[in-house]
Amino acid sequence: MTMDSDPKGKDYKSALARRNFLRGIGMGAVTTVATVAQPAWGGETFQDAFADFFQKDYRRMSAEEIDAALGRIERRAKRRYGVDIDCVNTPPQEGVVFGYAINISRCRGYRDCVHACVKENNLGRDSQVQYIRVLELNDGDFNLEHSDHYYDPETVPVEGKHYLPVQCMQCDDPPCVKACPVEATWMEPDGIVVVDYDWCIGCRYCMAACPYWARHFNWTTPEIPAEEINTKTHYLGNRPRPRGVVEKCHFCVQRTRKGRQPACMEACPTGARIFGNLLDPDSEIRYVLANKQVFRLKEELGTDPKFWYFSD
Amino acid sequence: MRSKILQLLICISGLLLSSVQAQEPMTPQEPLRFEGYPGAPEIKVVPRKDKLVFYPCMMCHAAMEPNPEIRQLNTPHNSEVKHGRGRIWCLSCHDLKDRNHLHTLLGEPVDFNDAYQVCGGCHANRQKDWTFGAHGKRVANWQGPRTLYNCTHCHNPHDPTIKPRAPSPAPHVRAGLKRVQGLPHEDTPSWMKRQEQAGQ
Amino acid sequence: MAVVGFILDSIREMFRGPREYWMWLGALAAIVAFGAWNYSQQLMNGLVVTGMSDQVSWGFYISNFAFLVGIAAAAVLLVIPAYLFDRKDIKDVVLVGEGMAVAAVMMAIMFVVVDLGHPDRLWHLMPVIGRFHWPISLLAWDVLVLSVYFLLNLAIPFYVLYSHYQGKEPNFRLYFPFVVIAMFWAISIHTVTAFLFSANPARPFWHSALLGPRFIASAFASGPALIIIALQIVRKVTSYPISQTVIDTLALIMTTALQISLFFVGVELFTDFYNEGAHAASIHYLFFGLRGFASLQMWIWVSLALNLVAVVILMIHPLRRKIVMLNIACVLTFFGIWIEKGMGLVIPGFIPTPLGEIFEYEPTGIELGVAAGIWAFGILIFTLLAKAVIAIKQRKLVRSR
Repeated sequence: MTMDSDPKGKDYKSALARRNFLRGIGMGAVTTVATVAQPAWGGETFQDAFADFFQKDYRRMSAEEIDAALGRIERRAKRRYGVDIDCVNTPPQEGVVFGYAINISRCRGYRDCVHACVKENNLGRDSQVQYIRVLELNDGDFNLEHSDHYYDPETVPVEGKHYLPVQCMQCDDPPCVKACPVEATWMEPDGIVVVDYDWCIGCRYCMAACPYWARHFNWTTPEIPAEEINTKTHYLGNRPRPRGVVEKCHFCVQRTRKGRQPACMEACPTGARIFGNLLDPDSEIRYVLANKQVFRLKEELGTDPKFWYFSD
Repeated sequence: MRSKILQLLICISGLLLSSVQAQEPMTPQEPLRFEGYPGAPEIKVVPRKDKLVFYPCMMCHAAMEPNPEIRQLNTPHNSEVKHGRGRIWCLSCHDLKDRNHLHTLLGEPVDFNDAYQVCGGCHANRQKDWTFGAHGKRVANWQGPRTLYNCTHCHNPHDPTIKPRAPSPAPHVRAGLKRVQGLPHEDTPSWMKRQEQAGQ
Repeated sequence: MAVVGFILDSIREMFRGPREYWMWLGALAAIVAFGAWNYSQQLMNGLVVTGMSDQVSWGFYISNFAFLVGIAAAAVLLVIPAYLFDRKDIKDVVLVGEGMAVAAVMMAIMFVVVDLGHPDRLWHLMPVIGRFHWPISLLAWDVLVLSVYFLLNLAIPFYVLYSHYQGKEPNFRLYFPFVVIAMFWAISIHTVTAFLFSANPARPFWHSALLGPRFIASAFASGPALIIIALQIVRKVTSYPISQTVIDTLALIMTTALQISLFFVGVELFTDFYNEGAHAASIHYLFFGLRGFASLQMWIWVSLALNLVAVVILMIHPLRRKIVMLNIACVLTFFGIWIEKGMGLVIPGFIPTPLGEIFEYEPTGIELGVAAGIWAFGILIFTLLAKAVIAIKQRKLVRSR
């Protein structure tokens, strides 16, 4: 498999060209309409709002429709935050299914991963959504009900405690996907369970169904300081989300589909996090699964997570 | 009587012959040398030399008399080796004559950029894990060429334990709601409590 | 067309009456307006105005939804005796019961809609133009069964009343199959709602095979409680004759259902507390508090007390036959089950979270306001429907020639 940073090569370039072309047309249309129509309610132009309302779900949109949706997302971000963002729709790579492992002997409870994720994924600073939660457990005890989520000592690790980071397990038999009444969440071919934020109706049944408390809801519109916005976004990933929809860890789809590490892994100073392609027998994750005594959380529920833990 | 003595002579000479044969010099063989792990991925290691303050060490040490005696040093750098609880000292890793290099357990010179080869001499399991990706940190990408950080990037070899540091802030609760501090879970395990009660 | 005349005449009947009737409608409308204003605040600011959180992501709205589906299902307790056991006295009021079912289903659906983060995207639920995740998603099942039940409970009374309006006898053979379907469908709506919760192994408090039976039993206790009160009110304010035997039958059904419901509570308590494991954390929190948190404790014990007092009253025949005592038992049962289904079932499913965190929930004023508005709307719908039904049944509303 070629290892260049642009795995799709020609297709990606032509998609980019098409997107830019359509963006040009869209911009022209919007400019025309904007000069004619007054900005409507909520500060959005009427045309964008109209198209938003009738937007189809991701899996049924054509390439042109997705490009138009990407354009609307970029314009909305400009209106809301005053920032020019780039929203792409990088497809999954062939022959890749992502897996993650955390060495819990190495985790020292820093929470660097939590905050790197917040920055990378444009999580609302005010809406307080965090995809990763680090649990502090007592030594000799692995009962999650005895955990402390809000530990705030002078230094970590605290004597007599150990730490367990939890985030979306990207289950291979996800109960959240079954629960959703409008199929707004599904598992992509590369194993990531994604949410179409423009299709979700916000019923929160998936949140009740998730055994790992991995899904979070935007009770309010995410507030992100303009200078901290990550402008490299993906439709299914870290693009600015609306209020009233569910979101969750998506293995940094905007990074991982381009070969980069997820933000949590990059931020972890201890190297406790291991990520890679489960289908590649030479990958680090496969080595861990073959050579370490791994376990998964709530294994007995049959969700088949692609997220393992081990200690050594 | 005569046949019995003959049998005895044959036995004794056979024994002498075989012992003589055992003492013949053998062809010398090359000892096994570590050459990495079979099936190991290709890795590049982030260099360390540019981060070393006093490198090249021979700038000073060329003028100094090498002293192999194990002693407490009073040097301008790293005089205390908090590594191994007294099992090792400076020259266990640093070369006596060529201070610009480290050395393996077999005395082979090792460049500072390849310090992991020295660490792996004792921490072999760790080195294997590091080579295959279950330990340590990979830089930037999960796909494509692997670049890893050296052991010494995270672990100071003179004081390898990683010190506690302040954590990043604890999570908040939803905007508009307040978190109520509950009672912490009982820390003492039940079996310890029983013991304490029995002791009273 | 005669149908249009029927509809228009019915609507005219709904909005005709003495001063007291208009005051009642006015009071309900005022509460509905208050609820609507609260909901507008929620639409403007988002669900952050409620007390729900990532930890307790369903609250007062879904609690009321679960309870109201039960009330809607309980209409079948009139339908079965009326049509299968050929009870003439019950047949006289079965349409009022179906009117209550219609109002209850409307309320239930409204409670789900106000709980949504994006109600403007409701069309995403429709097949073909949207994505209706049926038959995998239990919520999709619930939408389907509730919609069909709603239509059944509109269509059957519509046909029967329209026939009366025209001075004809309704064709029994035509509508009876739909009645039979409605009987099974009533059980299904509440079973599907129970499955909505019990299908989640992520929530050990809900993940029990007993949840379906518990829902049905508690619905068949709280539903008749409401119907008994409502029928007495109807009997009082209209001159429509409602036989006491109707009330007696419903009271007997309610007694049995309440006994079964309390038995199920006992079964749950034993199963969870005999060998108390981590799965019992929610019920421990509910009844005894956990790690310093106990905001639901008083509610559940009060609910249990209400239900126990009610079942004792109901089990003693002489007491049950006294109308005052029966009404007391009905009120106690109604509120006891309302607390048990909402605060005693929906909320504790989220406490502790799957990661062991205890975070409590309290509905905000806006949630209470919206809920009050929806309840008032339901009562309003029931009032209007009952008004038209009674008028037609009394042959006061006939097609003018």
